[in-house]
Amino acid sequence: MSYMFKQLSREWRFMLRQKYLLVLLGCAILISGFSVQSGLNEIEQQQQTIERLTAADEADRIDAQHKHDEFGMLAYYTFHLTYSAPSDLAFAALGERDIYPWKHRIKMLAIEGQIYESDTQNAELTQAGKIDFLFVISALSPLIIILLFHDLFANERNSGRYDLLVTTAKSPWALWGARGAIRFIAIFLCLMLPFYVGAWVSGTSLAAIGLVSFYCFIYLAFWALLSVYWGRNASSAPKVASGLIGIWVLFAFITPILGDLTINKFVHSPKGGDIVFAQREAVNDAWDLPKEVTMDAFTATYPEWKDHVAMQSMFEWKWYYAFQQVGDQIAASMSQEYRDAAKKKYQLAGYASLLSPPLLLQRILTHLAETDAVAAFKYEQQVRDFHRELRLFHYPFLFAQGEFNKGELANMPSFEKFIIEQQDDRNTDSAQSTNK
Amino acid sequence: MIEIDQAKAVIEASSLCVNIKNNPILKSLNFRVKAGEIYALLGGNGAGKSTTLKTLLGFNAPSSGSVKVDGKEVLEALNHVRKKTAYLPESATLYTHLTARENVKYFLSLADIEKTDAEIDQAFDRVALQTKARDRHMQTYSKGMRQKTAIALALLREAPIFLLDEPTSGLDPVAIDEFNQLVRELASGGATILMVTHDVYGACQVADRIGLLRDGELVGEFSAPQDGQIETEEVHAAFAQRGAA
Repeated sequence: MSYMFKQLSREWRFMLRQKYLLVLLGCAILISGFSVQSGLNEIEQQQQTIERLTAADEADRIDAQHKHDEFGMLAYYTFHLTYSAPSDLAFAALGERDIYPWKHRIKMLAIEGQIYESDTQNAELTQAGKIDFLFVISALSPLIIILLFHDLFANERNSGRYDLLVTTAKSPWALWGARGAIRFIAIFLCLMLPFYVGAWVSGTSLAAIGLVSFYCFIYLAFWALLSVYWGRNASSAPKVASGLIGIWVLFAFITPILGDLTINKFVHSPKGGDIVFAQREAVNDAWDLPKEVTMDAFTATYPEWKDHVAMQSMFEWKWYYAFQQVGDQIAASMSQEYRDAAKKKYQLAGYASLLSPPLLLQRILTHLAETDAVAAFKYEQQVRDFHRELRLFHYPFLFAQGEFNKGELANMPSFEKFIIEQQDDRNTDSAQSTNK
Repeated sequence: MIEIDQAKAVIEASSLCVNIKNNPILKSLNFRVKAGEIYALLGGNGAGKSTTLKTLLGFNAPSSGSVKVDGKEVLEALNHVRKKTAYLPESATLYTHLTARENVKYFLSLADIEKTDAEIDQAFDRVALQTKARDRHMQTYSKGMRQKTAIALALLREAPIFLLDEPTSGLDPVAIDEFNQLVRELASGGATILMVTHDVYGACQVADRIGLLRDGELVGEFSAPQDGQIETEEVHAAFAQRGAA
């Protein structure tokens, strides 16, 4: 143990005397620190947005409830905030939160259009993404590792010291092992320290910190070992660096781009805008259709209201909300196709990531941080399910035409309560399956 | 100083053949160096001098024959061989961002050898490295000063076997005399010294025996008479006729 410590301590002191290594390590800690700060700022902004919208949503709802006495009108003007709160690890891996919407203000109208409305925005604008910790680790850190390790052997050969070093060292570990280990420990700490500070600020669980550390360690070790292996017999450091940078470009850019192109070529999906258009067309067309057509389509899904669809006047709210429901039913197959394609693409991207370590790390860490496409799909489904709860709450008042007491609005579902109930249900299910 | 058996050959190449990238560089090379002896392998460019040294240090594997140091096959006892061997490369480029003292300490630590500053100063005194230069960065050192630092390192390793690659190349006449004196001191203290060189006069001044290497083979051997030097004229003639052809 003391022998190993002596070797590491010597190489640590030796590294501290090499200015270019110190500059490189300084750059690493600065870039990592900047990315963590940037991630924390982004998440804080998202949390502030949620707080602000929650307060505004509550105020709007109370205002609508004061202004409108007619139930259909009240339902029309009442918005419901839904959101996917960032996890305590999201600051490190912002993931798909740039691309998939994480908040909506929905109402009792057709839901599919409300979900995919933001998909009609120019997605290319979000492609540049944000510089988060995951970007620094997966895309930039390999370059720093290459710069640190590419000349480990070549520099010594080139300056004529290699033979003297090898014949003097008591063992290869005493020289190359200790030197490589110290460089690796130094770069690992420089890259990870800002993350640990960010995790502490963010209240990240120790388990998540441990897992992130483990995956980053494996990833950085992969690049370090590759650099050492690539340069083991070389005497020209620039040649080693060129080869390694070529591998980095292949893994970090060419493979993901080719993978993306291939997946998009073979997996076709309707655009979000198409779903919005189809649903809105259906809703607009309904104004001109005989009311029975709409009501028949509605009661096919909700047969419990088939005895309450008769209308006394030209316009009734139940008919209005029925054709909103039918709009969703018409867009349903396209929406399902969209979701199936998105899931298929995600699945295929998983296979492509096996050929690209940076992509694989991004996939693993965004999954841990719940900022990947899976988390976005889950949130989207939660919005859909919550909207169904809203309908189930509203339909009795619209169709049964019973007495409406504003006090009953206290029982109206809220997204926050809905999520908590879902969580409780899951916990109960898992407790029951454990007991079995 | 590490004890070594004086009765046997300390360095021995028997029918040694070494191929590099399928080219035969050493072809059935035979020579023996006894304990306390200074042996110079003399040859022109491409004769196989450096390959011989690298094979003795375990960097090249023999394609046939054997190469032994301290009675052990080099590749079979690499750690033992390297522990007993102090190697002085032709161009002793130590770390220029460190001082001579820091360089020596760094390399000694690699070999797991601990020396005090006083012991390091003693070694520097032996190689006549100026006191004021010892704690200066080696960036400013001349080739002679760098060579002296490397020799000091070799002395501090207290190895019984010295392998020297063109040790006087680039040194001024005074430094060469000092170096030769030091080599003789080491040999009289029991150290075995193998040097490879193309400097006929330098080799004749210091060596007990000279092996003339040509095209990977030993083509002649010269021994110094009792208490005398090898005849330079004779070696030079042989070198001009056969060695450098």
